[in-house]
Amino acid sequence: MKGLAPLFLGIFGTFAFSWLGLTVVPNWQIGHLSPQSDEEGTDIYPQPQSGMFERGAHVYAANGCIYCHSQQVRADYAADDIERKWGNRRSAPRDYIFERPVFLGKMRMGQDIANIGARAPAEPASPAPAGVAAPAASPSGGTSPGAAAPQGGAPVASPGAPGGSPPASPSSPISKPPTSPAPAAPPTTASPAAVAANAGPATSPNPAAGAPWPVQTAGEPAMYSAAWHHVHLYSPRSINVDSNMPSYRFLYEKRRIRDARSADALQFTGSDAPPEGWEIVPSFDAKCLVAYLMSLNQSHPLKDVRSAGGAPAAPAAPAAPAPPAGSPPPPPAPSK
Amino acid sequence: MKEPAISAVAGDTEQLERAYIDASTRVPVLMFYTSAMAWLILGTLLAGFVSFKLHSPDLLSDVSFLTWGRVRPAHMNVMVYGWASMAGMGTAIWLMARLCRTVLRYPLLLVAGAGFWNLGVLLGVGGILLGDSTGYQWLEFPGYAAIILFVAYTLVASWAVLMFRYRRGEQIYITQWYLLGAFLWFPWLYAAGQLMLFVVPVQGVLQSAVGWWYANNLLFLWFGAIALGTAYYMIPKVIGRPVYSYHLATIGFWSYALFSSWTGMQRLVDGPFPAWMITTSIAATILTMIPVATVGLNHHMTMQGYFPLMRYSPTLRFTVFGAMSYTVFSVVGVLISLRSVARYVNFTQASIAYSHLGLYAFFTMVIFGSMYYIVPRLIGREWRYASLIKLHFWASAYGIGLMTLMLLAGGFLQGSSMEDPSLAFSESVETALPYLRGRSLAGLLLTASHFIFAYHFGLMLLGLGRTSTVPTFLNPVEAEASGGH
Repeated sequence: MKGLAPLFLGIFGTFAFSWLGLTVVPNWQIGHLSPQSDEEGTDIYPQPQSGMFERGAHVYAANGCIYCHSQQVRADYAADDIERKWGNRRSAPRDYIFERPVFLGKMRMGQDIANIGARAPAEPASPAPAGVAAPAASPSGGTSPGAAAPQGGAPVASPGAPGGSPPASPSSPISKPPTSPAPAAPPTTASPAAVAANAGPATSPNPAAGAPWPVQTAGEPAMYSAAWHHVHLYSPRSINVDSNMPSYRFLYEKRRIRDARSADALQFTGSDAPPEGWEIVPSFDAKCLVAYLMSLNQSHPLKDVRSAGGAPAAPAAPAAPAPPAGSPPPPPAPSK
Repeated sequence: MKEPAISAVAGDTEQLERAYIDASTRVPVLMFYTSAMAWLILGTLLAGFVSFKLHSPDLLSDVSFLTWGRVRPAHMNVMVYGWASMAGMGTAIWLMARLCRTVLRYPLLLVAGAGFWNLGVLLGVGGILLGDSTGYQWLEFPGYAAIILFVAYTLVASWAVLMFRYRRGEQIYITQWYLLGAFLWFPWLYAAGQLMLFVVPVQGVLQSAVGWWYANNLLFLWFGAIALGTAYYMIPKVIGRPVYSYHLATIGFWSYALFSSWTGMQRLVDGPFPAWMITTSIAATILTMIPVATVGLNHHMTMQGYFPLMRYSPTLRFTVFGAMSYTVFSVVGVLISLRSVARYVNFTQASIAYSHLGLYAFFTMVIFGSMYYIVPRLIGREWRYASLIKLHFWASAYGIGLMTLMLLAGGFLQGSSMEDPSLAFSESVETALPYLRGRSLAGLLLTASHFIFAYHFGLMLLGLGRTSTVPTFLNPVEAEASGGH
């Protein structure tokens, strides 16, 4: 080849072509989406998150959760993600408009967690140890829109997430399904069915098909509750012996109990329990991480995406809907 | 075999001139190579740690900076920016000087560039381990490290442009197209990635699109371009025969630039994106078969009849292995991006196999080959032990081969279990675990090979190589070979 000019032009041209085609044009197409809302301008989804959720996302990034967990649900015709109950509809660009960074992920050594917040029980589970307050990512004050949600009722965008998380403060007015306008506005609230599925007595096997570990160990906090997340982060194999998730003990502090057991302390049953007189409490980062996880919820219907089951206004919780006839039976319990 | 035997006086001056140019590249190129070797060893140790922790998650998990989710990006960034980029730049600098047929000018630019680059990688990796990762794959380095890297890179690239102005001769050889491309694509790519993710961030899922566009282009237009350029130089040089076809090379280069730059979105197959983006990238991935075919054919025809030389020349052996891996890498890339296959392998270890094929089996092997050629010319000594080179080669070749097979097979089985909703999710992880243990075994082989090479390289640096006029051959050159050559 002779002459630099054609070489330079070609090198720049090919690259400019790709840059325009794969980043600039898509940015023009889907780079300026707004949240959707109904006719009255309420029921806005998604909503920006801040405070503990934002910090939690940084903890998520810093500790590389993305290298094992994806946060995207593929469409039912493309994969079996929905059948695995990882969501009730496929993820859409609009679900992510406020997220930065976006953790779509490229690996599933762990489950997809795009909807892990939606799978949380709306109540602090296990009625038995009600006195022993479950630890929680109690959103501190009004740092987030979610914290204000229970009072708001209808405009709550993702109630399964932050709304369900403040069980640590028994004084706070938790909007329980019966008192909230849940039945009246099913799309916006975690459905009672989800509560039934997840918040039953801890000893009963979890009926939610597709749940990762169908048999729940007695005495554990209800699956995907904040308390459960803390125990799981601290000691994954105490919940599922087959898990290959690393433990994140460095996000927790082991300390001597001063006067009374801290409300935040983790509830352990097995060998992970601290010795007498000691307790394990989550650090602020751990609380933020759990708050972030509990906020992951794409169950809100989107106008441009068909939800599973056909009806766009299907109940929000993905664990809730009974498996349609003809779907495969629930997974067998791991034999180990 | 090293150089075509030339007896004419003109040839002697040419050889002398070449030696003169080689000597002028000594300090900067060795600086890049030595740093790269240090990063390679560190990256290898981190890799072993990552691989073992994946199936033994409790290993040292109580220490925040040793948690798997931090060590993994640290390993990846050390290899990508520490080892591969620095070794690639070292080779590219040497090739530039030789092909421009002028002594290396402004060495201080390069020395400063290498220094800043090392600093950037060091800060970046430290940042990741301390919990400062940005969370964007392949761009985990925090902002302060990224800026230093960019400054370092600007120094190196401006040197490359300056060198081009001093070049002698009208002809621009194939290698120079690729190198010039790499030197110009990288800053644009890096700047675009940084700008669109951190300075004026794009909205939502487009961040992932930009991220994978960046990662794939880095693989193709930076590493791939350097490796292909190097192969186009080393193969004809070692066997002493011109490239088979210039026309094929032209087609190969431009189709490579055009098609491979449009890949990337296929990694996000079935994700929350407009379907055209992903489909376009899948199509582009399939079209990369055109450069693969032309480049592969060109190398093959050049080598035709000379394959037995791989018995003797370390450079040729590594380079041809790398060039062949380019084909394998691209074919695997096409297979795993097809929607029907991606359904099973998209979220599995198979994508790790793909990255390793590109970055190791293809790029790194070519660069190893070039180092076996270049380092003796910088130091004036020949490699000391043929046996160590052979060990290095076989440990690397078997290591990466085993690793690829394990990750592909494990990934496919993992994906099949994952796509069977009647199985619990944890089954899919358990399916992959035996293969991940196999991968750790392959990692041990690679670790051995890197330590061997580093030791040998260290001997060369200390001036303990052989003093000889004949390069170190892998096997004694017998009469049978000298006949043809």
